[in-house]
Amino acid sequence: MSVRKIFKKAAIGLTLLFSSNIAIAECGEVVLAEMNWSSAQFMAHVDKLILESGYGCKVSMVPGATVTTFASMNEKNKPDVAVQLWTNSIRVPLKVALAKGSLHSANDHPISGVTEGWWISPATVKAHPELKTVLDVLERPDLFPDTEDPSKGAFIGCPAGWGCQLVNANLFRAFEMERKGWKLVDPGSAAGLSGSMTKAVERGNDWFGYYWSPTAIVRKHKMVKVPFGVPFGGADNWDGCIVKPAQDCADPKPSSWTDSVVQTVVTDEFKKKTGSNVVMAYFANRIYPIDALNDMLVYMTDNQFGGSDAAVEFLLTQEAIWTQWVSADVATKIKKSIH
Amino acid sequence: MDFNQFPSMGREDLRDFKKVIDNGFRDFSREFGESIELFFEPLLRFLVWLEQLLQATPWPIIIIVVGGLAWLGSRSTKIVVSSVLSFFAIGYLGMWEDTMSTLAIISVSTIVCISMGIPLGVMMARSERVQKVVTPILDIMQTIPAFVYLIPVVMLLGIGKVPGLIAVCIYAMPPVVRLTNLGIRLVEKEALEAADAFGASSTQRLFGVQIPLALPNIFAGVNQTIMMALSMVVIASMIGVAGLGVPVLRSISNQYLALGLMNGLAIVALAIIFDRVSQEYGSRLQKHRQGTQHD
Repeated sequence: MSVRKIFKKAAIGLTLLFSSNIAIAECGEVVLAEMNWSSAQFMAHVDKLILESGYGCKVSMVPGATVTTFASMNEKNKPDVAVQLWTNSIRVPLKVALAKGSLHSANDHPISGVTEGWWISPATVKAHPELKTVLDVLERPDLFPDTEDPSKGAFIGCPAGWGCQLVNANLFRAFEMERKGWKLVDPGSAAGLSGSMTKAVERGNDWFGYYWSPTAIVRKHKMVKVPFGVPFGGADNWDGCIVKPAQDCADPKPSSWTDSVVQTVVTDEFKKKTGSNVVMAYFANRIYPIDALNDMLVYMTDNQFGGSDAAVEFLLTQEAIWTQWVSADVATKIKKSIH
Repeated sequence: MDFNQFPSMGREDLRDFKKVIDNGFRDFSREFGESIELFFEPLLRFLVWLEQLLQATPWPIIIIVVGGLAWLGSRSTKIVVSSVLSFFAIGYLGMWEDTMSTLAIISVSTIVCISMGIPLGVMMARSERVQKVVTPILDIMQTIPAFVYLIPVVMLLGIGKVPGLIAVCIYAMPPVVRLTNLGIRLVEKEALEAADAFGASSTQRLFGVQIPLALPNIFAGVNQTIMMALSMVVIASMIGVAGLGVPVLRSISNQYLALGLMNGLAIVALAIIFDRVSQEYGSRLQKHRQGTQHD
């Protein structure tokens, strides 16, 4: 580690010896994929600011989405970097691409603490501290009465058509929730899902349903993720049954949610380019603590800001985090450019 | 003066302005949300009851009722046969339950829209001032993108049938209001003068002359309201209303062509049945009127 640091410092020192024009030639152009959700946009803009002012890169952004960006990087070598790639939905083709060497992972865990699963509202936790796991919650459908059928508990699942809809429906069967007095509610859309949570939390009501993090809403509402209380049921159960439509999953077993994997992925062409090794080293160091990231997302929604405003705010206020990602010289350069 | 840059109110101010509105609505929803929900409770119970009734009724009975209603409305064997056939197709293709849910919410929405829309239309026809106020509101209701009013509706009432019904009615109510207003205004002066000459009171004039003569127009409005309610089925599903919209949403996000087409066509089939039956009924009313004129 220390050898690598020394090497990195030497490399940066060398670049500093030459003029900034040479530095630009060193790093060259970087095309980042700007995904269509807030946390990825924020991360892309932070990378843009750091790479431009710290490493003298010329950064441009193209809009993207998980599947399309992955396909374009794999087939066409463009864009260079997928900053925040959720790999669960493209697990198999990504594995092939990584093994073949057409894509490389620059960071396997750019966010520490990415998670999805089942959450309850803070009011519920406060009133019922005994609800420690999903198994405990499942015994109390009476706390979460469904509006249409108050004799049942409402579990808010995933909107129709999302991958997680199948997962939630199969887990609903695996945990025998129907027998325990639950109803699986389809919120219809992302807005329906977040709207039902917001409405419940703002009134101090109980809410039980699916969500994921990093998102502004779970931080803002101080939602509490409940552990499932059962171990992960194995890859065969998850990949061979839980993620499939009900007719292909006859006998789902209870299981905790599979690990959500977010990666920073670069193309082979980018990795081989001269000067990209400093950028790769930066990507490898760049790890966001989930709470800091969620705080920035709350900042974005509270002020109705986009990723670029939040990135500046992050560099200004969260020095303790991002100065660990870069060398002292680079940090000075970045500080100079934002102040 | 820089004419390339519009003198906008500035980012900070604009942000504060938006926040004031957002927070204001949030406080309103905290304060009154519960009581508004309580107000709609009977409607919700009725919706749930009707849906369960439709789903629990054996299918032959539903088909007989559909055929019977189609006959009562249209008196046309062709329409009755095609209605019954489309219900058979819907059931055979596995869309029976979703169709029953959709039928429940559409029927209740239509009843709510009509029972609010026709009186409003009558008031508009009787008062220029009401017309001046209501017309722009109807314009807003018809053109504002549905997604915009889904946000406050969900914040107030959450997801489910009642917010879905409100979303449907915001979009579907204007035609029946407009056409009721138009129909009453189009009633010939002579007919009204005759009524006045016989010493009819204002109420007698309204229910004995104006509304009967305006019925064909009112029916065209009801027909349009039903059609527009059906076109909102998918939007309503976005806030958790069960029915044919849910598989459509699923097929949109997964590119399931066949599933989308089948459920979309089921909505179309319902719309055409409603449309033909109510149109035939409307024109039968008109024929009757023409008949009396020939006498």
